[in-house]
Amino acid sequence: MAVLEVKGLSKQYPEFLLDGISFSLEEGRIMGLIGRNGAGKTTTLKSIFNIVHKSGGEIKIFGFDMPGDEQKIKTLIGYTGGAINYYQRKKLKDIAAVTRRFYTNWDDDAYRRYLDAFSLNEEKTPLQLSEGMRVKFSLTLALSHNAKLLILDEPTSGLDPVSRAELLDTFTYLKGKGVSILFSTHITSDLEKCADDITYIAKGSLIASMPLERFLCENRAAGHGDTLEEIMVHYEKEDINEKLAD
Amino acid sequence: MKNLLIKELKLASSPLSYIFLIAALMTLLPGYPILMGAFFICFGIFHSFQNARESNDVLYSLLLPVKKSDFVKTKFAFTCAVQLTGFALCAVLTALRMTALSGAQAYKDNALMNPSPVFLAFVLLLFSAFNLLFVGGFFKTAYKIGIPFLLFGIAALVIVAVAESLHFFSALSFLNTTSGEKTGLQTVFLALSAAAYCGITYLSYRTSKKRFELLDL
Repeated sequence: MAVLEVKGLSKQYPEFLLDGISFSLEEGRIMGLIGRNGAGKTTTLKSIFNIVHKSGGEIKIFGFDMPGDEQKIKTLIGYTGGAINYYQRKKLKDIAAVTRRFYTNWDDDAYRRYLDAFSLNEEKTPLQLSEGMRVKFSLTLALSHNAKLLILDEPTSGLDPVSRAELLDTFTYLKGKGVSILFSTHITSDLEKCADDITYIAKGSLIASMPLERFLCENRAAGHGDTLEEIMVHYEKEDINEKLAD
Repeated sequence: MKNLLIKELKLASSPLSYIFLIAALMTLLPGYPILMGAFFICFGIFHSFQNARESNDVLYSLLLPVKKSDFVKTKFAFTCAVQLTGFALCAVLTALRMTALSGAQAYKDNALMNPSPVFLAFVLLLFSAFNLLFVGGFFKTAYKIGIPFLLFGIAALVIVAVAESLHFFSALSFLNTTSGEKTGLQTVFLALSAAAYCGITYLSYRTSKKRFELLDL
């Protein structure tokens, strides 16, 4: 069952066009949304969550229309733009106390469990946490209202290798619990560790959306490279010397 | 809406919004343009908008299962709650100066505006300007607060200047009289101002709601 279906998503900015992006994410799978900086990953994720208004296309989450059923959808999913960057000087317990009021499906036991698992101290403020711990607190809030779909915008950016590995392990654990995850990244090694599917965007257009293994096989066969990084470089590399000479 | 208001009080607002309510005490200052107290009350509310912006309050709120229009409504509700508390304090102090303190030597021969229903009317007009120019202006972008507050500041100075000048025209001297015989007329002025406050605030809310719905954040 598809938990997220995106069909022909487009967003027109004066100097950028996100052009007809389509993909779908099945239940209990992890999808990596990749592309170089400025490719349109964040615009895609923000459009899915209706933080920016799409110019065209259709978004269905758990069968509900976005933005038509926005409130209902937001109780079922969690979104984080990486590390928590709001109310930096408020204690985590105060942020959680306010957040839980908005969710009828808030699970306090789950909240305590994730706090313990992530070694988060409720008396601290986001400002006192490392980048990795702040991402974990974001996840804790999302998971405490039993979000079945997590949408994460570059959650591993800025994390040290150990924190990144821990976070990717967390994703794999959550996948085992039936949670679907869509996360954007330009760190290809993250995807090779945990992603089932890949959606690749370049300059606002869709290059591919398919299972990761198939993507690797097809591109290896076409001679585009052996690893995700090599394949990405094949698609994206421009002759910088030529540009500098112009 | 109730939960958003709690979020506003516990996470987004600045304590300065409440501390600046003390500016209502300016109503008691002799020989001072007492309408500036209303300006400082608005300045306190400005700090909550600033604090919310620095805390990424908009993004946090929009990730919650709430309507965008409720977010706008909550900002207006918070603003009006602080303003009406300030207005109530000004009203009590105005009544005090018009009655128990009416004979106090310090208030004799006051060339500036006296506390009266007309003063309270101008307080509401100043609050209306804040709701229209600052709060309404904020929702054009949901992050720019400098220009909207500058526009409000200019409007506030004009309102204070007009309020302090009108009663020097003989035909309008009733605006500043404390004799009591013109209190009825002054109260009509206050009632009209209260209607303007409600109308302008509602208009600003409607406009802000439309602007905010269209914003890409």
